[in-house]
Amino acid sequence: MTGGPGAEMLAAAVRIGTPLAIASLGGILSERGGTFAVSLEGQMLAGALAAVLAAHAGGTCAGVAAAALAGAMVAACVAAATVRFGADQMVSGIAANLLALGLTSFAVRAAGGSPRVALLPAWDLGWLARLPVVGPALTQPALTWLGLALVPLLAILLRRTPWGIMLRATGENPDAVLAAGGSPARMRMAAMLAGGALGGVAGAALALQQVGVFTDGMTSGRGFLALAAIIVGRWSPAGACLACLAFGAAEALQLRAQAFALPVSSYVVQMTPYLLALLVLSVAGRGTRMPGALGRPLERR
Amino acid sequence: MTALAGFGRAGGAMAASLVVAGMLMLLAGHDPVGAYAAMARGVFGSPDRIAVALNRATPYLLAGSGVALCFRAGLANIGAEGQIALGGLAAAAAALLAPGWLPGLAMPAAALLAAATAGAAWSALAGVLRVWRGVHEVLSTLLLNFVAALLVAEALHGDMGEDGSGFPQSPMLDPSAWLPPLVQGLELHAGAPAALLAAAVLQAVLWRTVPGFQWRLLGFSPRAARYAGVPVARATVAVMAVGGALAGVAGGVEVLGVHQRLIEGFSAGFGFAAVAIALVAAAEPLAVVPAAVFFAALETGSQAMQRATGVPSSLVLVIQGLTLLFVLAGLGRRA
Repeated sequence: MTGGPGAEMLAAAVRIGTPLAIASLGGILSERGGTFAVSLEGQMLAGALAAVLAAHAGGTCAGVAAAALAGAMVAACVAAATVRFGADQMVSGIAANLLALGLTSFAVRAAGGSPRVALLPAWDLGWLARLPVVGPALTQPALTWLGLALVPLLAILLRRTPWGIMLRATGENPDAVLAAGGSPARMRMAAMLAGGALGGVAGAALALQQVGVFTDGMTSGRGFLALAAIIVGRWSPAGACLACLAFGAAEALQLRAQAFALPVSSYVVQMTPYLLALLVLSVAGRGTRMPGALGRPLERR
Repeated sequence: MTALAGFGRAGGAMAASLVVAGMLMLLAGHDPVGAYAAMARGVFGSPDRIAVALNRATPYLLAGSGVALCFRAGLANIGAEGQIALGGLAAAAAALLAPGWLPGLAMPAAALLAAATAGAAWSALAGVLRVWRGVHEVLSTLLLNFVAALLVAEALHGDMGEDGSGFPQSPMLDPSAWLPPLVQGLELHAGAPAALLAAAVLQAVLWRTVPGFQWRLLGFSPRAARYAGVPVARATVAVMAVGGALAGVAGGVEVLGVHQRLIEGFSAGFGFAAVAIALVAAAEPLAVVPAAVFFAALETGSQAMQRATGVPSSLVLVIQGLTLLFVLAGLGRRA
């Protein structure tokens, strides 16, 4: 790799940030509809296992598709519990995470251990890769490009399309959607399923681009880190994506702590995303742009 | 809803999840009856096994009743995970800094007090953020969990770590701070009856005292509580602090009673289990007792099941998750 330690760090930040960014995009879909995306961790884990198994059997595309399906299935559990049965979102999410952790671990043993898959190759988009400094960071595997492409797409979907506007209205004030003739329940479910699919793809990015094999609990908190990124990015796709990039840079920095002789310990560096999110929440007040009805169950009628 | 109906629903959810997990075992080519029998032997096979299961249930009971209290007051405190970790850190720090300074039981009691204080402070922080800055406690407690776990890691990789152990753990604590065994020769420590007492006291406070009534009113309707003159801000912080103190003690008990040292990740997953347990118990402190024992028994028996029958112990997580989902689905239908 050329371009010195700075360029290499940036490339590592993008690599580490990719699964986080895709997950946070999925989380934004769910949370803009008014549902906490606590089950991101479980979605990613299920996606990672499905990706490894299916990619081993039928290639990368099969892996990504299976991951999206697996993530959506985890989200479907939460959707059924929260929308159909009016259960608490937080606790349903925790239940789904427990279930995903147990089921993936059980399934990988039932399947006789995880196969090993080759990591996705980096795509070099011609002149982009030859740019100074950022060149190495712009030589990335397919799912990173997919995540990057999703940022403007999701922003347009949320801001400019009738569906997106209806979804945001569901997250702010479900009664208004009901009065306008929409179905908040259906909107929430759809957003959760789509978000879950993205959560699964995020797991695929982790498994197929970074690790190459499934291990128990391999997401190790990345789903929650994505949740923190959503807060720091104030529920906007570009903001969350930038936050994920920053978190990725923090982790890349921490992995190279010795080389850079950091004055603070790596654990303090790891704390920053969470402290940053807390800071945003407590300082920004209404400026956090948190969806107004986030976490509130739909009233049944 | 009566407590009996709550027990019935939770029991139904537990039974249903055991059946579903059994079907899963059949699908994977295992014998569910044999696996559950091996699990039962792992829990009830000998007095020592029972003691291990009860020790395991102790932090769940403590933290679970704390979470139940917060749920009752309408506060979605999911921060037990971090409060437990910091409680363990504080108890270990107290025992390491002041070995044998106090006579007899006063030493573990003082260490547990430190644990309670740490847990209460961490939890109250989320309460203060909610009252003062309007930060949803779900988000603040979730974020604080990760900070707490990293604080423990920072301590163990720094000043509190044991030199040359090659593993992030503190040195062995001074025996003066250990929780004494309840029965000589048995691993059961004194934390278990203390936890039972705490749950009973909490139940009484919730249903028989003025603050308990105010806290429940806060849960039913914050507006009604305000109208009735309940100091909402103070009550919110108080509930969070009491719940956090119980979670902190849970961490202290685990450190002083089971490991006798602080180990990185000693409480990983405890807090989320406590949330699950509190919900299975319908946020009723006394009903947390059977729920905590159920979760602890599953975990204690899972290793024996894996050894005897080859069924992966992670099946237990599936059972726990399913139980929680079934309870949630049942709750919603009746509400």
